[in-house]
Amino acid sequence: MIQRDLMITNRLGLHARATARLVQLLSGYRCNATLVAKGREVNAKSIMGVMLLAAGPGTPVVLRVDGEDEIAAANAVAALFERRFDEDS
Amino acid sequence: MRRAFTGHGASRGSALGHARVRLPHLFEVNEQHITEDHIASELARLHAAIHDVRAGLRAARERLHGALAHEVGEFLDLHALLLDDPELLQGLDDLIREGRYSADYALRLQRDRLAAVFATMDDAYFRSRSEDIDQVIGRVHAALHRGQAQVGGVAGEILVTDTVAPAELVQLQSEGVLAVVTTGGSLLSHASILARSLHLPLVVGAGDVLQHVNDGDVLAVDGAGGRVVLAPDASDLRDYRARRRDEQRERRQLHRLRREPTRTVDGVDIRLYANAESRADVAEAHALGAAGLGLYRTEYLFLQGDVAPDEEAQFRAYRDAVLGMTGRTVTIRTLDLGADKADRAGLTLPREPNPALGCRGVRLSLARGDIFAIQMRALLRASGYGPLRILVPMVASREEMLQVTALLKSTRDALRAEGHHVADEVPLGAMIEVPAAALALPSLTDTVDFLSIGTNDLVQYMLAADRNNDALEALQSPLHPAVMRVLRDVIRIGRMRGLPVAVCGEMAGDPAFVPLLLALGLEEFSLHPATLLEVRQAIRGCDLGALRRRAGALLRARDRAGIERWMRQATT
Repeated sequence: MIQRDLMITNRLGLHARATARLVQLLSGYRCNATLVAKGREVNAKSIMGVMLLAAGPGTPVVLRVDGEDEIAAANAVAALFERRFDEDS
Repeated sequence: MRRAFTGHGASRGSALGHARVRLPHLFEVNEQHITEDHIASELARLHAAIHDVRAGLRAARERLHGALAHEVGEFLDLHALLLDDPELLQGLDDLIREGRYSADYALRLQRDRLAAVFATMDDAYFRSRSEDIDQVIGRVHAALHRGQAQVGGVAGEILVTDTVAPAELVQLQSEGVLAVVTTGGSLLSHASILARSLHLPLVVGAGDVLQHVNDGDVLAVDGAGGRVVLAPDASDLRDYRARRRDEQRERRQLHRLRREPTRTVDGVDIRLYANAESRADVAEAHALGAAGLGLYRTEYLFLQGDVAPDEEAQFRAYRDAVLGMTGRTVTIRTLDLGADKADRAGLTLPREPNPALGCRGVRLSLARGDIFAIQMRALLRASGYGPLRILVPMVASREEMLQVTALLKSTRDALRAEGHHVADEVPLGAMIEVPAAALALPSLTDTVDFLSIGTNDLVQYMLAADRNNDALEALQSPLHPAVMRVLRDVIRIGRMRGLPVAVCGEMAGDPAFVPLLLALGLEEFSLHPATLLEVRQAIRGCDLGALRRRAGALLRARDRAGIERWMRQATT
């Protein structure tokens, strides 16, 4: 299992479009993925689950991935957060 | 009996017609249990309904085109993703399998559980996403009973309901619904945003309208004011007719302008070009009488698949844009991507801490000569079919333009040697969006044939204010004395050297900025086709001579308030 500390820095936080991008990205990996924020733990592959976090900008989140392709998945998610969910432009 | 309801005006426009009421069936579902031998058939019923709704969303998405597809498609995709959500599906299956609930009641329970969590959220944006879940679950419920999630019989009527989903709006509009009134919803909802794009009048949050309105009742809807009147009286009807007349006059005037010249009161012709990125945009620009395309974006070609498009695919897209404009000039911008999006275009680049200041636009093109050479070949081949100009984004220095010019020359020679027809004249332009390029303009002008000012990025870089940072909203306005000065200088230097200068940022598409840009000397605008007629109308109301005589006062304004004052005076 891998655990990563991430920070939400995009403009609207984990809103609908950003959540959709995260879920679509993770759907390409076999490992299980969980996001923990604000004392709540949700399935990161569930758009509903992630939206329920209501995580706005500046929220620290913990990503946990578990499975054979966990390293690649963790890197991809971390990169998506760093790119602020591709919202610039 | 007359009764007025006040909600929020989510999308402008007036309507008068009979009501069609749709009650929220889902929330009237009572607890229903099934026996063990019905579990399999109940699951099958639920999954068939989900399948139908998914197909409906796909069909709605296919009906969208052009810029609308880009903006609205995301909402529909979000609903499709919700339907695929493992938690939602698993939760429903568990309720049927283990709780022995009917599919209807399982939907109701799942919806209530989620609504309870969303209701506790502090943030209005997140709270309003509960609507998306209600809409998706509501559509599945409707599909369970009708075999398909459709609202029938609304042509020429006003739909009154609890909530409306984006996919439904697309369908309702194509069926001819006059307006939509909902008791729930917010101005932030996806449906509200979509209704504005569709020009469909929508009032949301209209309180207890469902308790008082019945099928066939006469309603007057004011989509701008957010008012709904049941059984309107003579005075309401007068108001409605007056509003309607204004709206229709406005529309007719705009429509007539399709064939009118873009000429100021004192007889100066201004050129209005269109920004485009799809075949539908090109057709619309042509129909609206645009002088040509001032900015044809090529990124969309690169963001469609996982690999960069090949020469043939690019050539066909550029050639079709040229053919679509039937002899009017088509300005195609070379790839304008940065490291933040490059991986989606099939390009692998090192990650950057600050993509806005990184390897983007022409920097990326020059760093990836393989990709750029293919684009240049496709562009030059398309130039054989009609007037085409090439616009280079993010130029910061003369050296960059010289490299592009060299590549243009060598590519042209190679194509001719291969027997391709390439136009003799393929003007090359630079986008002015980096302050250094604007300030060192005289050193650039002998390397280019035309200039286009990208105000969005120019303002961002001049004011060091991230366009994506809401906290800096006040700083992101182009109404800053330094921006006025740079715009004036770029336009003036371009004109002195005989180079056409256009503004292609959002500023050009806003009628409010027309007097200001004309005063600064601008004669070419490039804007989204959606606002082309409004901007043409604004230009036709301007006296260019008078505005230019007042340019000095504009440049002397010391702050944003002063510039805003100038704009108010210019329009009175």
